[in-house]
Amino acid sequence: MLADLAGGFALLLEPVVLATALAGLVAGIVVGALPGLTATMAVAVLAPFTFFMEPLIGLPFLLGVYKGAIYAGSIPAILLNTPGTAAAAATAIDGNAMARAGRPKLALQISLVASVIADLCATVVLIAVAAPLAGIAIKVGSPEFTLLYALALTMVAAVSGDDLLKGLIATVIGVTIALVGLDPMSGAQRYTFDSSILLGGISLIPLLIGMFAISEILIRAEQGLRAPAPSAQGSLGGPGLSWERLRPLMPAIFRSTGIGTGLGTLPGLGAEISCWVSYGAARRRSRTPEKFGQGSEEGVAAAEAGNNAVCPAALIPMTVFGIPGDPITAVLLGAFMAQGLNPGPLMFDRDAETVYALFAFLIVSNLMLLAFGFVAIRYLQRIVLVPTGLLYPAVAAFCFAGAYAVNNSTFDIVIMMAGGLAGYAMRKTGMPIPPLVIGMLLAPGLENSLRQSLTASGGSLSIFVTRPGTLALLAVMVLLVGLFLWRRRHSPQPTPKGEH
Amino acid sequence: MTTKKALLTRSAAIALVGAGTVAALPALADDFPSQQIEFVTPYPPGGSHSLHAGIITTGAEEFFGVSLVSTTRDGGGGAVGATEVAEATPDGYTLLFGDPTINSLRPQVEDLAYDVDSFVPVARINYSPAVFVAAADGPFETIAEMVDYAEENPGDLVYSSDNVNGWTYTIFELLKARTGVDMTGVEYGGGGPAVTRLLGGDTMAYAGDISVVGDHIEDGALVPLCVTDDERMEALPDVPTCTEEGFDVVFQFWRGVMAPAGTPDEVVESLSDSFAAMVEDDGFQNLIGQINSTIDFADHEEFAELWEQELADMAEIAEMAGAED
Repeated sequence: MLADLAGGFALLLEPVVLATALAGLVAGIVVGALPGLTATMAVAVLAPFTFFMEPLIGLPFLLGVYKGAIYAGSIPAILLNTPGTAAAAATAIDGNAMARAGRPKLALQISLVASVIADLCATVVLIAVAAPLAGIAIKVGSPEFTLLYALALTMVAAVSGDDLLKGLIATVIGVTIALVGLDPMSGAQRYTFDSSILLGGISLIPLLIGMFAISEILIRAEQGLRAPAPSAQGSLGGPGLSWERLRPLMPAIFRSTGIGTGLGTLPGLGAEISCWVSYGAARRRSRTPEKFGQGSEEGVAAAEAGNNAVCPAALIPMTVFGIPGDPITAVLLGAFMAQGLNPGPLMFDRDAETVYALFAFLIVSNLMLLAFGFVAIRYLQRIVLVPTGLLYPAVAAFCFAGAYAVNNSTFDIVIMMAGGLAGYAMRKTGMPIPPLVIGMLLAPGLENSLRQSLTASGGSLSIFVTRPGTLALLAVMVLLVGLFLWRRRHSPQPTPKGEH
Repeated sequence: MTTKKALLTRSAAIALVGAGTVAALPALADDFPSQQIEFVTPYPPGGSHSLHAGIITTGAEEFFGVSLVSTTRDGGGGAVGATEVAEATPDGYTLLFGDPTINSLRPQVEDLAYDVDSFVPVARINYSPAVFVAAADGPFETIAEMVDYAEENPGDLVYSSDNVNGWTYTIFELLKARTGVDMTGVEYGGGGPAVTRLLGGDTMAYAGDISVVGDHIEDGALVPLCVTDDERMEALPDVPTCTEEGFDVVFQFWRGVMAPAGTPDEVVESLSDSFAAMVEDDGFQNLIGQINSTIDFADHEEFAELWEQELADMAEIAEMAGAED
């Protein structure tokens, strides 16, 4: 295998290959940094053009776009509190708090380094143990998925802020929004009010852009009206990343890498869910959980490592079984096939040379991202110096374009504006937004896997206790909830005692 | 579909269109096409539909004189994109990349915002039969054994399905209707996850496209039972048709281009000719071959005849399987 990999590196050392890959990476970063333009969209739009390229030019280009776009989602999340994708929403919480506190550079650098480390580790896993890992992952069936989704829902507690009740209410609202559309199993219409526009449900991304970005713009506008603020609303420079700063973050980065790799290997659980689970887990294990939400470096590192580890991991089921885990790997699968490479059980025999060249490229692209990122951050951090009056209208324009572009749908702009007003109201009333997003993200998967399990078992709940996987997950769930309750009871924190 | 609802959705659509753009007057047929054509794929990126659409739209300009713009409007299992095209101005500048489930079956058995009559056929690009497959370590290796197993263990045979009224779903409904046996389908939402659950051991059978199951058959993880076509497949010469095995299950899943009803005949003919020229192109055929697909072109007249027949078959399936509700 190492010889294969060495051969792969040799194939890559063509200037034209590296140049197109870098072009893809930069294109991906630009697209990913714009709110609403997602990695999936970028890859889907560019994929047909690679059909006419050589495989080892076209595919590195696409993989570069993919990687660049997933990473770059964190840039606007940190600098402007306007995450364009659900995968970057967790990064925005602490990343933007850091930027506001005069540490935008550090936040960007932590996000970059955490992304690269996580991606590299997950790539090594992909190269070394893809086949055995995929063999385990495919045994994970609907009952296990049901419990995994339920487990992920407990992350709501970690992102609800001080008020768990408000967090739970927001979660329920998110779940309810996710119910709109066609029933995934029977095809019945739910809450569509006989309107064909609602058949496809409420799209997550326009709503997300509204909730985070538009509400942010509204709040900024309001502040600007009340007090004509000085033009520079952020400060430049601040501390940079050093090994002393990075070292305490390493446990969180590696934990998130493990979570992201594990979840990414399971078809269907993508970067959006992994970043929240990683963030929640980091907060649970942190020595300073009270800093989460207030600009915790650990929070940024955990969220970013969590979503980037998913990229290589999602390629595991794709390369081993030809099964795409999420929309973006589905598009990549198509591009692979158009190049005559058929991902699946036979690809390693038929096209070992190309496959290992692509694996080698995944490693090289990380180093490219690291180098390019450090240079880019020098200039990117200056975005916070742009006067609010110029910056936010421009961001708003991108939001409208992005929300429309997701599905080419005018209705999505309506969804975005409604989300913006709702997000504004939620911020004003102290209702946390992340639980709503998590509810909306998890509800469809939870519903599907629960109903699939029960259909297969003929309606019997015993399917959740007769499989080793489900038993293990149940045990973890009981443990986590128990720990949470125990901590609440014995918490020395100054929780208001009220009437007791 | 009630008339009132149809009116409501139509007026809503008109209001939307009117607000957004000045509705173009139907173009004169001899000028056609004079602007870019929107090619709507009603499924999410990554499936066989969007893969074909990507290839069709990338090389189209040479044959149409204008570019074909690929637009993805997924949702509602294809109903959202189909509705949008059905309500578009019938001038040939908005086309749907359709298939039997969204154009033939679902409008007959579901209450959708469009009808079978909302479209006119332009060209069929190709079709694929489904391959019935079972897990290699399962209790049956032929379609007859599978049916026997289902007969002896009513309801215990769990198979992977896609969506209600989807391709796999319909094929199994057809088999159940023809044999009277009881099997349990689990809807996984698409071919990818459906095969995953079969490989993972949660289900026992599946029926779907060769692009999804082919490698797993070659690899030995799945056993092919029969194909749902009139004749054997070139790629699987040893696998019998279901009819050969004594089960009258024929279902050809076509991929074809549909225009909104009311599109002028000359425009439909012009489009059909352009598609016909395109599928003859070597570069196009090469790309289609790369994704393990084939060309089985039918021009607008032939396609219309085939579709007419299929609509009758689907009505029969709907009645037999009791899908009507």
